[in-house]
Amino acid sequence: MATRRGFLAGLAALSLPVPSWADAGSPEYLAAGKIGDDFVLHGLDGSGATLFTLPLPARGHAAAAHPTRPLAVAFARRPGVFALVLDCRTGEIAHRLTPPEGRQFNGHGAFSEDGSLLMTSEVVAEGSAGRVGLWETAGFTRIGEWDSHGLGPHELRRLPGGRIVVANGGIETDPTDRTLLNLDTMRPNLALFSAEGALLDLAELPEELRQNSIRHLALTATGVAFAMQWQGDPAEPVPLLGLWTPGAAPVLCPAAEAEMFTLQGYAGSIACAGGRVALTSPRGGAVMIFSETGAPLATHRRADLCGVAPLGTAFIATDGAGGLWRATPEALEPLSRADVAWDNHLVPVGLTA
Amino acid sequence: MTIRIRLAVLACFLAAGGALALGAGPARADYPEAVRQTLLPGYADFRAATADLAAKAAETCDPAALAAPFNAAWDAWLEVQWLRLGPAEDQGRALAIAFWPDPKGMGAKAQKALIGADPALLAPEAFAQQSVAARGFFSLERLLYPATPLAADTCPLIRATADDLARMAAAIETDWTGSYADVMLTAGAPGNATFLTESEVRQALFTQIATGLEFIKDQRIGRPLGTFDKPRPELAEARASGRSLRNVLVSLQALRAMTETLSPNAPQTLAAFDHAIQLAQALDDPDFSGIADPSGWLKLQILQQAVDATRQKALSELARDLGVDLGFNAADGD
Repeated sequence: MATRRGFLAGLAALSLPVPSWADAGSPEYLAAGKIGDDFVLHGLDGSGATLFTLPLPARGHAAAAHPTRPLAVAFARRPGVFALVLDCRTGEIAHRLTPPEGRQFNGHGAFSEDGSLLMTSEVVAEGSAGRVGLWETAGFTRIGEWDSHGLGPHELRRLPGGRIVVANGGIETDPTDRTLLNLDTMRPNLALFSAEGALLDLAELPEELRQNSIRHLALTATGVAFAMQWQGDPAEPVPLLGLWTPGAAPVLCPAAEAEMFTLQGYAGSIACAGGRVALTSPRGGAVMIFSETGAPLATHRRADLCGVAPLGTAFIATDGAGGLWRATPEALEPLSRADVAWDNHLVPVGLTA
Repeated sequence: MTIRIRLAVLACFLAAGGALALGAGPARADYPEAVRQTLLPGYADFRAATADLAAKAAETCDPAALAAPFNAAWDAWLEVQWLRLGPAEDQGRALAIAFWPDPKGMGAKAQKALIGADPALLAPEAFAQQSVAARGFFSLERLLYPATPLAADTCPLIRATADDLARMAAAIETDWTGSYADVMLTAGAPGNATFLTESEVRQALFTQIATGLEFIKDQRIGRPLGTFDKPRPELAEARASGRSLRNVLVSLQALRAMTETLSPNAPQTLAAFDHAIQLAQALDDPDFSGIADPSGWLKLQILQQAVDATRQKALSELARDLGVDLGFNAADGD
């Protein structure tokens, strides 16, 4: 039976329809890329087909998808001086985000569960001290920031329930040219925050792995899986995957012995699906799949593979030659191919993003 | 009509590798020629050379008698080592064949447990399960050119290591002739899930050439070169067998041959290769111990610069001719 309140709410919705992702064709993924000399943001369906192509003014890194509204925040590559809020129905730039004076975007962002807050990974340009920038999403104005409790934060993720994990890569970069400045002293960490920004936990790597920059994150059943990039001697085999359940020490997950150098010390993206973890390496030209406890299950080779996201209980991955792939422990199978050089990340759209 | 059919027949003929029949006209160069004229013969040579080595080791474990087949087998490996894709990458074979650089000494540690070990561990199936660090040319080198005399009888391990090399070489060649050559040659055909277009094969081979040159520059030369104030000759590759310079030279020659077979239009790249090869041939410092001396160090650095110049030339000229690049993400990650 319709209540008066429900009737009024319905009326309000009719008079002012709230746009949703359905209005942009219900994309399941966002991916930045390059077509010829032009940079673009694509919306893709689950088969890898393009639903929309929006122009970007420069090479993008990752995007953040609003949980309900058809808005994508495209972050410039590091050191980023802008981020664009794109209306994915029209491609128009709804808002342009500029970090405060002396801050730089660092490639990633995440929305709160209700979409009312955007959190961006940032650094203080001089010294690379990490910040989590806070933006309200009605008009995308800056409303505050937290200390990320580390240098060079890269990806940040919202856990179910609203807590936030930040991958502090540990690297101090030159504010103008990305030169690495602190390889001898770097110390990456994983920082866990409450939804209000209180530091709840901080995890570091063992001393001998402190040159393993923690950069990308994916949600597991109990915490996060994290992907690393080794800044030490490339001839030393090191784990590039870790699993962290807050409250416990991180668990590091080496590749199978025969594949210990396959990823070439560089994991570019990470995703969790179906109780497994996928780790990509464009330098190694491979995707490696692990069990949820970190046991290596399979390695599939494909040049310049980088973006990866869940595809049901399998994975979908993108490469720099335009390929979209379905990855399982058994196989890497082509889904589709476009004349787009897919960039680093493939971002799922929806509440789990 | 007739002409068109003839052209079609000719195209098929060319695609089947009949370029030799065309006496006139420029030599054809592309990836099918690279597969047929360079890669398949290279893996066949490696198989034959490791079989010779294993056969000789079955006769004798005398290092002097094994030196020639050992060096011939390693030379044969260098012809194809740069190609880090396909069957050589399966099951960690390339790592097991040549585990270097090895800054933590994993190879010596893993091998130590096998010297004088239970013969059952040295049986082919069991030995193939040993660590990739414990096998291959560097393990054999430690046995044939020990820094200090080895107490135990190393003959069983020499034989097992040589047999293992021959087994891996045979498996790689079988996989190439049995399937992987076709995977490359049918690039872009429906059902080929490895190479979606012909261009992807050119891109893959180009990337391997660039990576191979980088390996020579940064690892084979860069590790021992260190800095002018602190040269590290003890870090040279294959120092015990005196092959450090030879490995540079033969791998440069192999990459040059691949470049020439892949593209007819890269004269500057080939000239840069020739310059680097001439410098390597003129260098009289087989194990790089001469770099402890400033003039020796500078000579190796000049060679390193020539290798880098070759890579730069390949990245511009060869890439342009092949219509490829290093890869959008691989070249510039984040």
